[in-house]
Amino acid sequence: MIKAIIWLHFLRLWRLRYSFLNMVVSNAMWVLLLILGVLLFVPRSQLPYALKSAYWTIACWSVISSFSSIVGGWTNFFISLGMVEEHMLRGISPFLVISGRLVVASLVSITTIIFMGLLVQSLFSVPLFDIRPDIALISLMIVSVESLLYSLLISAISMRSSISEQFLEIMNFAVIGILIVPISVIPEGLRVLYLSIPYVAPAYMLKVASGSEISSLFIIAAVISIIETIALLLIALLAVKAAESHIRRNGTRAIGFY
Amino acid sequence: MSLASLFKSGVFLDLYFVKNNRANLISFLLWPYLMLILMLGAGLLFGSTQSFRSNVGDVDPIVFFVSSTLIASASLSVMWDVGGAVLFHRWAGTLPYVLLAPYRTSIILVMAYIPRYILWSFIQLAEFLPPLIIRKGIYALIIDLPILSISLIVGMLPLLGFSAIFASILLITKEESNILSWLNPIILILSGAFYPSYLFPLWAKIISQALPTTYTFELARLSALMSAPGAREVILIIGILLGMSVLYNALSYTMLGKAEERALGSGSI
Repeated sequence: MIKAIIWLHFLRLWRLRYSFLNMVVSNAMWVLLLILGVLLFVPRSQLPYALKSAYWTIACWSVISSFSSIVGGWTNFFISLGMVEEHMLRGISPFLVISGRLVVASLVSITTIIFMGLLVQSLFSVPLFDIRPDIALISLMIVSVESLLYSLLISAISMRSSISEQFLEIMNFAVIGILIVPISVIPEGLRVLYLSIPYVAPAYMLKVASGSEISSLFIIAAVISIIETIALLLIALLAVKAAESHIRRNGTRAIGFY
Repeated sequence: MSLASLFKSGVFLDLYFVKNNRANLISFLLWPYLMLILMLGAGLLFGSTQSFRSNVGDVDPIVFFVSSTLIASASLSVMWDVGGAVLFHRWAGTLPYVLLAPYRTSIILVMAYIPRYILWSFIQLAEFLPPLIIRKGIYALIIDLPILSISLIVGMLPLLGFSAIFASILLITKEESNILSWLNPIILILSGAFYPSYLFPLWAKIISQALPTTYTFELARLSALMSAPGAREVILIIGILLGMSVLYNALSYTMLGKAEERALGSGSI
């Protein structure tokens, strides 16, 4: 069954390849637009540090945003096709099919990060990929898992009550505002609390990997990331179970597009 | 069906859209401020207003980004709602009806869209008045408000034609994928939306000169100058925008006409 789900998502990706390319280029361009605006404030001497920090924060946010729209947002399409009931009648969890969007979200995120990085690197001659690959990979994997779980959570909620996609987008936008704050500007006593905000700890680890953040809180951030991921996993599983039981009794409600 | 009916239908479409989609309205009102706060916040976290002035010149960074955000938002709206309208109609299954309607597709796209543009862009302008007044006091009402209003109105004219060219391409390609959305941020970047085009390399400067949005941004940003902008500069930019309006609208009228003929002959889906 898992093989069939993965095949389904690869097949859709191939058929909608122009949308995939469009999404990658479009994400990269929006990021470039944002970075260019921010760089107007940066003195030339601090450009390498600021660019690296801003780029890796945005790369991290791009993973979060891609997952929540590609996994969470796709739920609307899945429901409107009547696929939830079809799958449940055949004993397949609709959330398992939705989780298969991991394939698409991962491919979009990886391609966007590479394309965006090469573009920004060539424009400003700052080596953005001069990072610690092991830490960067672990951080990006944690962010991806957390984002997938968050997306499943909103999918589960959206099958019980309508959620406006606009609010999901605002929520995504608020996340970047939180992630972009360097830990050095947070008062020392509040730093652990700041790292406990969802996504902040793995994003901090990613910035440490890129050398744009002090590494003194790295171990704490790693522990927080693991605890946070386990907590999200439990919450998402509970929400999925509750949603499935609710659908069996009451049917689904579609996620609001507007 | 008269042109006035088309215009009226555009007005009602938006009024009922707002009435029935409150979440969209709230999000619409929040977005420009979120964008502005993110830009200014991130900019000030990584740099300073002194560096901004040494990079850009003697301009107020807040007014600079307010005017940029306003024009970026209005331009995006035109590019999406006129350029992407063919795509939306194709998705909704209404494209054949638009093509078979008595008016030409270009007229329908533009006339039904104008009320939306005027309503939303001026709501956003009103939304941005408080920060402008805080920064520049009474001058915000005497100088900034007229400059930004003119930018919104005159800037829309060539952009309508420019966007309709993309509508004609979408009509011909019969593509259902959203192949247009990557163009919008590129157009904004090359127009100098948040990073002035005079700081670009030569090749990018040449492209930016051909884009109507470049001049709309330049016109709107005159309000960010610490000194009062010269009337000659304002008139010159308005002149360029009006010239571009004639050029792009004539071009789009012809292109959309040909695309429409082709779609009527061989189908549009």
